[in-house]
Amino acid sequence: MDGYEQGRDAGEPPPAPRTGTAEPPRTGTAEPPRTGSAAPPPRTGIAALSPPYRIAAALALAVVALVACVHLAMIFLHVAPANTVSKQHGEAVDDWVYPEFEQNWKLFAPNPLQQNIAVEARAQFRTEDGGVRHTEWHSLSAQDGAAIDGNLLPSHTDQNQLRRAWDYYTSTHDTQNRPNGMRGELSEEYLRRIAVLRIGREEPARAADGLLRVQVRSVTTNVQPPSWSGEKLDPKPVIRLLPWWNVTSQDMEVRDR
Amino acid sequence: MNRLDRPAGALSRGIGRITSAALGPYQTAVVRIGFSVTWLLFLLREFPHRHELYGPQGPWSWELANRLILDNQAFTALMWNDGRVWFECVYGLAVLSSVLLMLGWRTRTMSVLFMVGALSVLNRSVFVGDGGDNVIHLMAMYLVLTRCGQVWSLDARRAARAARARGGGFHELGEEAAEADPDRVGPVLWWILGLSLAVVTFLGQLGWGWALIFWTMWLAHGLWWLLGRQAPGSQLRALCDVVTNLLHNTALFVIMAEACLIYATAGWYKIQGSRWQDGTAVYYPLHLDYFSPWPALSQLLSTQGTAIMLITYGTVVVQVAFPFTLFNRRVKNVLLAAMMIEHAVIAVLLGLPFFSLAMIAADAVFLPTTFLRRIGNRAARARGAVFTRTRGVPEQRSEAGADTGGTGADTGGTGPVPEARTGAGAPEPYGTGAPELQPELQPEPNPNPEPNSGPEPNSEPEPMPQPEPNPAPSAPERPRP
Repeated sequence: MDGYEQGRDAGEPPPAPRTGTAEPPRTGTAEPPRTGSAAPPPRTGIAALSPPYRIAAALALAVVALVACVHLAMIFLHVAPANTVSKQHGEAVDDWVYPEFEQNWKLFAPNPLQQNIAVEARAQFRTEDGGVRHTEWHSLSAQDGAAIDGNLLPSHTDQNQLRRAWDYYTSTHDTQNRPNGMRGELSEEYLRRIAVLRIGREEPARAADGLLRVQVRSVTTNVQPPSWSGEKLDPKPVIRLLPWWNVTSQDMEVRDR
Repeated sequence: MNRLDRPAGALSRGIGRITSAALGPYQTAVVRIGFSVTWLLFLLREFPHRHELYGPQGPWSWELANRLILDNQAFTALMWNDGRVWFECVYGLAVLSSVLLMLGWRTRTMSVLFMVGALSVLNRSVFVGDGGDNVIHLMAMYLVLTRCGQVWSLDARRAARAARARGGGFHELGEEAAEADPDRVGPVLWWILGLSLAVVTFLGQLGWGWALIFWTMWLAHGLWWLLGRQAPGSQLRALCDVVTNLLHNTALFVIMAEACLIYATAGWYKIQGSRWQDGTAVYYPLHLDYFSPWPALSQLLSTQGTAIMLITYGTVVVQVAFPFTLFNRRVKNVLLAAMMIEHAVIAVLLGLPFFSLAMIAADAVFLPTTFLRRIGNRAARARGAVFTRTRGVPEQRSEAGADTGGTGADTGGTGPVPEARTGAGAPEPYGTGAPELQPELQPEPNPNPEPNSGPEPNSEPEPMPQPEPNPAPSAPERPRP
């Protein structure tokens, strides 16, 4: 069969696609084996190339190996604690890693979260007689928790959206609730829109006429250490109250479908 | 085996290995299938919530995302247009590409589209993701560089059929079939994608870096197709093959290193935590409202102080130790099983199914080849059984007499093609007495070492470009009488 194919290859101009037909010669059937060892495996890979191509392949090898090593080194420096090297070359590491190779594997580390942080929100709305009132506090996190309970496939909307939006807010604001720049402002808007969406879901009638302002707070409760540890933590929740935020017309357009 | 060879010899043998074959075909295939399935299930799960999570009018609105992305320059096609239709298109593309990547249809192209889909969706709303999204994001990029469709793919099946057409049945209908039915889908796909890329580039939506990457890949696919057609035996094509193997093997190595980094990071940071030291760490997540879908179960578990401590310590030990155990195959396999089981438990207990699935998919890159083959064979047999049961009768009726015996062989042939070839045809050619170290780091002892006079030395690793001119023969896969 090989012979037949080779003959065909040699004799005719290539009439049609024949990826495989002419392959055997390349990998060594046609090329006389140059090594003298007994039953040599057919030459493959870089060894099957003629010198100029071999140089090209070697070059490719060098480049690929170099890039891979640099990449892994950068990722390592990115995930490792701040150290001599990463402090010196922090910018280079960030340039390499962000935005596409960013990663965080401190999963429940160094310590798992030991507090339940419930985010709650309420809204101001205009009454029919022209007055201004506000709703009760809605525990948005409790809604999430209820959706997660007994669920084999919790949705990111319940498990991550609010939880991470709150993380994002706290990490981009100081304790006086001042944003640390553009990201801080984004997180504020984001949290506000989540609040508007969720309150609108709970109180569609009041939201229909437009909410005026929303306010968000967090209620942080320690998870009590296990009974056998003998430790006791203050069971009193800590409340962080954010200022009232004006709801914009854009915010009112937030949709979940 | 001359293990006492000088380092230079070992180096040149190593270079020979990584340039002559795309190693770990089963491992890369299982990673490909694992991640495409995970991503597909995730997209389907969030389908009802897709607007809230990624839509232009969700809480993280298009406008908010745009402000962030202008700053961080992340890639997402969802920023190219703020319309609803475009959003649905991209989401649909993400779903479709993950299905096709899972099946291994035009694998190399689909891996690119899969990456586009995954990055688009994930980068669109970074603040709804978790660790699982993060792994998928990374692996979607690494997979593009691998030949992940060598086995367990429609591409492999197509290649096998083409090979059989050229091989045994050649004299009868193989040749005509091959010539009359060249691959049309590949070139069409290539042109469509080229046009789309041109439009996107022209509209100025791509950063220069991404434009360079996409155009390079597009040209590389075209070049490979052209070489396969015009100069299949040429040195240039051999060079392309070498470079592609190189990229594959490097990407495979990076995937493994990435998995190790994940565990190392998770483990070493835990060691520093007081709760992991005092043996109560596992207790806490079970009491977080966001990670306790089964409160009763969590309560029950958290009365078992000793068990909690053992799990806590065990988790740290396994995570820290895992990268080092790669140097010993047996220990590695034990830890691998432990980690997969732990992730399966986490999936249910902490309500993190997609994260766990993604981690299991990443772990799977370390599974031993023999195990993967066994699974593959079993799946193929199961498939064959189902097919003969459901299709056996009508096929006997509708097709020629010679095919009655062929039904079984046919189904058997389509399913386990890759196994049949690599398994029976080429019994571990180089890997026989492989030195201790190699199989661990490169799990596959040389997959496709161009068997002696096999019909198609190169057609089984579905070569890189989709428009490769594999003739898709109409009938020739029928078993020869």
